[in-house]
Amino acid sequence: MNWTCEQTELLLTDYLDGLLPADEQRAFDLHVNSCARCTPLLSSVMHAMSSLRALPELETPPRLVYNILDSTLGPRETVSGWAAFLAWLKSLASPKFAYGAVSLAATFLMFVTVSGSVNWKKPKLADLAPSNIYRNTNRRVHLAYAAGTKYVSDLRVVYEIQSRLRQDNEVPTNRENTTPESNPTPGRTDGSGPASPRQQNRANDVSSQLQVLAEEVPLLSGKLSLVSSGRLDFMTSGKLGFVIGGKLGVR
Amino acid sequence: MEQDAQLVQQCLQGDGSAWEELVRRHTRRIFNICYRFTGNRTEAEDLSQDVFLRVYRTLASYRSAHGGFATWMTSVTRNLLIDHYRRTKRDRVTDSLDDAMPVVENKESSGRRPDEQALLGELSAQVQAALTHLSPELREAVILRDLQQLEYSEIQTVLAVPEGTVKSRINRGRIELARILQQMGVRPS
Repeated sequence: MNWTCEQTELLLTDYLDGLLPADEQRAFDLHVNSCARCTPLLSSVMHAMSSLRALPELETPPRLVYNILDSTLGPRETVSGWAAFLAWLKSLASPKFAYGAVSLAATFLMFVTVSGSVNWKKPKLADLAPSNIYRNTNRRVHLAYAAGTKYVSDLRVVYEIQSRLRQDNEVPTNRENTTPESNPTPGRTDGSGPASPRQQNRANDVSSQLQVLAEEVPLLSGKLSLVSSGRLDFMTSGKLGFVIGGKLGVR
Repeated sequence: MEQDAQLVQQCLQGDGSAWEELVRRHTRRIFNICYRFTGNRTEAEDLSQDVFLRVYRTLASYRSAHGGFATWMTSVTRNLLIDHYRRTKRDRVTDSLDDAMPVVENKESSGRRPDEQALLGELSAQVQAALTHLSPELREAVILRDLQQLEYSEIQTVLAVPEGTVKSRINRGRIELARILQQMGVRPS
């Protein structure tokens, strides 16, 4: 079948809507695939159609239905007094409102419980006074802040001790490699105490921090001992264990 | 469709709630036709209101044997839109393609990413602008076929023209729309 550009343009919609007979459709395809004028025409029309069909369906403007009803049925009757109050109450009986109300109540109860404002064994109406709730919440927050600060401070001490001990363990090794066996300078070389003033100072620092730590953490105080020479020894293996569950232990 | 016919019967017997139901069922579709034809939300709202007012007044003239209620309503809408177009023709004399700066539509998000949504919004606005540059007879044919997805026979009823004319208008409308979109720089990717 001989197909022309005019036929393509004329029957474009029939082709796109699938209304062409099979032989005409084949001729259409053959022509469009080989025609420099009809190929872009078909693609641009298909693009226009797909763009049109992709246009979203707009939402109805909120007041439109009411305006239509007002203009056809006349203004709706307005209720007042008890009838209006009852209508309002009826409007509250919706799942959305009930869900919101329950969520709000649960949040309030959680807040009041966490703030410690209410003693649930002996609840009093005065507990719900805003000033009481504020005072109790404020106290709880400050206590939590103080406990947190102390915990962080303890951790810092422990880390400091660990790093000092690590440095302390490394020093004798270095010394063995770098210093002669017969040391002419005074000081202990039998391993019972620090061999140099630097080590002595470090040991003093560590021991003083351990004393502080032992006072603050009773669990540790029974397990650490300080040698009078200033060198740290531990009752067990001589290594400081690490914090587990916020408590100090000896490994 | 049967439900519409039933609601119409109830309306004719004075049932206000049946009318309210009819309004709720068809407002969105009528508003969309008006908006796509005029490209203006305020005009589309006013025209939608006029359509329902006219339908309410002439409800007794509706005969279900002559087609569905939706098709009948679409005919009323189309007549009002053409009247409105003729009334406001003089105001649009100065319109040109360059003036048709598309306004991004406020549409449903449907879970798209913001950048996709912005692109789609821009494309929609350009297509809408191109649509309003079609002649009214081509525009209404394209809107009814490609946006409202009506069958040829339904469009024939709405426009009150033979089926050949319907096909011809849709064909010319689509080709013209593609040409306007190309002029606006919207090309197939």
